[in-house]
Amino acid sequence: MTRILALLSKELADLSRNRGLFYPAVMTGITAMIIPFFVAILVPYFTGERLSDSSDFQVAIEMYRTQPATRGLSPEGAVQAWIFQQFLLLLVLTPIAGAMSVAAYTVIGEKQARTLEPLLATPITTFELLAAKVLGSLIPAVALAVAGFLVYLGLVATFAESGVFRVLLAPRSLAIVFVLGPLAALAALQLAVCVSSRVNDARSAQQIGALIILPLTALLVAQLMGSVELTGSVLMLVTTLLVIVNAVLMRIGITLFDRESILTRWK
Amino acid sequence: MLVATRLTRRFGDRVAVEDATFELAPGEIFALLGPNGAGKTTTLRMLAGLISPTSGIVSVDGEEMSRGNAAGVRGRIGFLTEAPGLWDRLTVRQNLSVYARLHGLPQPSRAVDEALELFGIADRARDFAAQLSKGLKQRVALARTLLHNPDIVLLDEPTSGLDPESARDVRDLILRLRDERRAVLLSTHNLDEVERVANRVAVLRTRLVAVDTPAALRSRLFGSRLRVVLAGPAAPFATFVDGAGVSDVRADDRSLSMAVDDGRGRAPAIVRRLVSAGADIESVVPEEPSLEEVYLRLLSESPQPERRP
Repeated sequence: MTRILALLSKELADLSRNRGLFYPAVMTGITAMIIPFFVAILVPYFTGERLSDSSDFQVAIEMYRTQPATRGLSPEGAVQAWIFQQFLLLLVLTPIAGAMSVAAYTVIGEKQARTLEPLLATPITTFELLAAKVLGSLIPAVALAVAGFLVYLGLVATFAESGVFRVLLAPRSLAIVFVLGPLAALAALQLAVCVSSRVNDARSAQQIGALIILPLTALLVAQLMGSVELTGSVLMLVTTLLVIVNAVLMRIGITLFDRESILTRWK
Repeated sequence: MLVATRLTRRFGDRVAVEDATFELAPGEIFALLGPNGAGKTTTLRMLAGLISPTSGIVSVDGEEMSRGNAAGVRGRIGFLTEAPGLWDRLTVRQNLSVYARLHGLPQPSRAVDEALELFGIADRARDFAAQLSKGLKQRVALARTLLHNPDIVLLDEPTSGLDPESARDVRDLILRLRDERRAVLLSTHNLDEVERVANRVAVLRTRLVAVDTPAALRSRLFGSRLRVVLAGPAAPFATFVDGAGVSDVRADDRSLSMAVDDGRGRAPAIVRRLVSAGADIESVVPEEPSLEEVYLRLLSESPQPERRP
């Protein structure tokens, strides 16, 4: 544990002096935050048309009328709550995309800076090395997601219909932010570190790392399309799956991390 | 202390190191020489537990290194890699502090303070590694290598690219390590440095070409030679030393160079013969070929290794 914390402190110190790495994540996070406000608040405000009058959102109204937490909302509030809920997943996932480029670069970056060999010459084990590397990307990503959620919550409380922000404090929303998001981030970042351990140049790491975001994007789109609804039982199932996936990925990561190849074959 | 027995390492069908056997004793500086691609770094990596040999054994204090105990053994070895490998965006202190904790030192902060003092870099502790000169980076890397007080120190080209003053500092440090009874393995191309510090030398060209003290290698390859410097031309006196236990007499301007069968013991007889022949002698000195000559002779006499079996 001491060695994980030692290397983690290095990762965080390194990132704190290279904040630019997270600018894309911050920018996409802000964009992800603006979109639902644009749809739910600005468009109705400037057009003078209420979303609840549109037949497109009747499903949302019906859905929210059946749920105890949203029954007290006005029709417009129900539509807003639905929109803000849908985009919550995007908000939680976008920092991961940024963190993945950091994670994908993490091993190969050490190799290119020629800092990996002295590190591997210490008693650090592969598990400790990978754990520190993944945590070094995960902690900033989760911190960004949580900070984004708090800002989102504040903006919703300020600009949305009364009571809408309470929907975002429901267990389902909190589970997305504090359980599903970090677990999905952990899986994605572990995959990115695996990629970083196997490819031999930074561009490949970043390109393959970018592919990892596709399944997460598919989940988001499926949710927006109504194909998948993140109910409590679905969330439980996804969480269980992610826990298993993470355990398997850690095992695979340790197997794939071939110290000898990294030292002797990478240029 | 550290024993390598029949170490062989292949990368696919390429043989990097083959059948290398040697040992490293406490208080010894053992220099590993060889041309580029001879397998020096691969050997060091095997000794440091970074890569495993295809065959052969590395043992430290009698304990055979394996995948299972490599992490523990790495903790007893200090390995200075060819590049300093400092984290540029961390300060000198942070760099050392991370390694102190990675080695599980009980008082990491104190160990770092001591290392900063010992290596004369305390005043640069707050500087980022990126701001340091190459010499200072190497000094920090050395401090990092010795932070956990290892008994075995492996140094891969420690003075490469350093200015003479920094190189001298590093050499002094290597000598200090020897005085502290640590076992030091030094891989380098700098033969002058080896001449100054090494107790024993190994020449590697995939296989070990030779392992011995510099003096023994000289003697084995070139025999013992004496050089007699005269006040006048030497050529007329070349024949007068025949029969005095010398051979291969070479006259060069004012000096005679000759192979002697028992070292300096022949000097009085040689001097007597030359004086009686009327020669004015200015000096008699043992003639020692440079380590470079020894090295080049060893390489020229060793067959080029078969890379692809």
